Amino acid sequence: MWLERLQNIDRRVIYTVLLIVLLAPMIKPIGIPLTVNQTTHQVYNLIESLDPNTDIVMIGMDYSVAGAADVHPQAVAVAKHLANRGVKMVMAAFVPDGPMLAERILGILGDRVTYGEDIVNLGYLAGGESAVKKFIDDPANTFARDHRGNPISSLPIMNNIKTIHDFTLIIDFQTGSPGYQDFLRQLPSDGPLYAVGIVTVSVPNVMPYLHSGQFAGLLPGLRGGAEYEVLIGEPGEGAARMDAQSLGHLVIVTFIIVGNVAYFLSKQQEKSRKK
Amino acid sequence: MKRSVPLLIVFIVGSILLATYFFQNPTLDQARALLTNWGVIITAFAVGLASVNILRIHTARIANRRSGWFNSVALIITMFTFIIVGIYSRHNPQNTAAAELFSNLFDYAYSPFSATMYAMLAFYVASASYRAFRMRSFEATLLLAAAVLVMLGNAPIAEQIWTKFPVIGNWLLTVINTTGQRGIAIGVAIGGFATSLRILLGFDRGHLGYGE
Amino acid sequence: MTSYFIFCTFIVLGSIIIGVLVATRSGKIAPKIRRIPALDSIEEAVGRATEMGRPVHYSPGYGDITTSTAPQTFASFDVLRYVVTLTARYNTQLIVTCKSPQSFPMIQELVKETYLSAGKPDMYREDTVRFISEAQFAWAAGVLGIFNREQVAANIMLGYFMAESLLFAEGGAQVGAIQVAGTGNLAQTAFFVAACDYTLIGEELYAGGAYLSNDPTKVGNLAGQDIVKLLTIAFIVLGTVLATADSNWLFELITK
Repeated sequence: MWLERLQNIDRRVIYTVLLIVLLAPMIKPIGIPLTVNQTTHQVYNLIESLDPNTDIVMIGMDYSVAGAADVHPQAVAVAKHLANRGVKMVMAAFVPDGPMLAERILGILGDRVTYGEDIVNLGYLAGGESAVKKFIDDPANTFARDHRGNPISSLPIMNNIKTIHDFTLIIDFQTGSPGYQDFLRQLPSDGPLYAVGIVTVSVPNVMPYLHSGQFAGLLPGLRGGAEYEVLIGEPGEGAARMDAQSLGHLVIVTFIIVGNVAYFLSKQQEKSRKK
Repeated sequence: MKRSVPLLIVFIVGSILLATYFFQNPTLDQARALLTNWGVIITAFAVGLASVNILRIHTARIANRRSGWFNSVALIITMFTFIIVGIYSRHNPQNTAAAELFSNLFDYAYSPFSATMYAMLAFYVASASYRAFRMRSFEATLLLAAAVLVMLGNAPIAEQIWTKFPVIGNWLLTVINTTGQRGIAIGVAIGGFATSLRILLGFDRGHLGYGE
Repeated sequence: MTSYFIFCTFIVLGSIIIGVLVATRSGKIAPKIRRIPALDSIEEAVGRATEMGRPVHYSPGYGDITTSTAPQTFASFDVLRYVVTLTARYNTQLIVTCKSPQSFPMIQELVKETYLSAGKPDMYREDTVRFISEAQFAWAAGVLGIFNREQVAANIMLGYFMAESLLFAEGGAQVGAIQVAGTGNLAQTAFFVAACDYTLIGEELYAGGAYLSNDPTKVGNLAGQDIVKLLTIAFIVLGTVLATADSNWLFELITK
């Protein structure tokens, strides 16, 4: 009887246990040590190698508010790193939520950057892959005004941008479409380096692109954000949430094991009864 | 005529957009820019048409007092609030109160609601994997083992239990997973190419309505 | 010119696909399609909904008709036509939920016309095809609400899906619906496999129209697709052999 129960635990019980396990470390963090993956190191080293006097980075703000919990910490950490190094950033979005999230990052960066000189939030361009292509073909004239309503010509940072080749690196934070496939299809083969920050669920999908060298780096979900925070020495949202994610994984694995042990034992019982 | 005109439009527009991918030509680029803009305008009309459908379904629900009709009231109020505040704040940038209201609606209504739906995935993953991952067969056992090892490989706490978890998880992800992903991705891409070609050249007309 | 190699590949592969399609249409060849259990199960799902007197839900997914997700949306339309025919035959209520405002009028037209040609125009109602929202999670929430309020007995999800795949699949499982799903987005296939009764994997989605209608155009298209796939495999093997032998010839050719 109890074996059957363990095989069919009510989903509300599973949800309650998971909720408690996720909430507890957010209230009282445990501080589970985190090792940094090679792909995150790759992005970090790439940004370390940039020259603040000549290099400009385009940041693709292509994630939705829904997936922000997974991707926003990465975007914040990378923007902080670029700002600390004095590298200029051009933020553009091909999903509607992007500009609002870019404003949140600008708020976090505060005095580290001067708006219009070190960084700009160009806003959102509708059209999916067509919009990506439009920007890649003519980044200087695709947006007439930035998200704050300033004419593009009035922003000093944009005087340095004539073609897509004026960017040394494009780092695209994304949760879906348009995303890496659209960029890879449209970017010229001799164009800027392309790195991505993506939601955890898409990590298996992008591995072939990483191996083939089409990605210059990859930040995998919340873990990527937390790892980057460790690398720049500024623990933030990502590191705080990793404890919860870690324990959440353990709970799910525990439920799977419990279900299987009960399944296995009940099969054994059945066999011995038949004998 | 009713069928051949749309087919001709599909062929011409599709061919121009395809040609701009292969050839650099100012005339083609201009045509592409124009067609892309038309596409955006048509999409805007499609949103209007779809919104009418929402209104008709939900006003009928309210009028007939069908179960949950009050949800329809909430939907219509929310929809018009976003539309009015959004359009007003866009066209009156000097009105900071309207801009702030829109920003607050985004930050404190749209954002948390969307994030809540996304967060539900964690709970659904838990119940779905608990139900599905059973050692019923050899293949199911492989699936279960791979899922558990990748999950543990991604959790820093598992690394504290056994240092090999990330190594095994990473191997599964980068070798086994990537091999399968490549094969299926190539198949999906070829399927997409063949389907697009069939539609572009007018061999498939079913999507235009009027039966097959 | 972006790339001579890509352009030539496009022409050659396109010609093969169209050639096989035309040959099949003219009856010169008659390709056979293997059994696909997930597609066979659609009739079972609609039948079960009929027995229970509850509706069938169909979702063409997150994709639209103007981006790279369009082929999957069009492939989904082929299966939708079959589902409408079945619901017309069994007099079962159908609910189609849409996220893309662009595909919404096309789906309305498709469903309306299919009911008309099945001799059941009255089965098409204002709320048969419902546009929910263009925002991903508002759409997901709306669909989950429909599952619970209308207690759908069959849930068919074919097309391009993103994070909502698991919300729909698990939401459907919670109301006890029999579920058939398929997507070309591999990251989401795992969720469908875990939570649905039958799943189409990868390009099986494109086989739906040909398998269910046996239309020579679609069958020929599928056969052409398979020949291209065989050529691709041969090309990969050749590339691997050359790379192992330290030859850059093929690599240089594809970058030209």
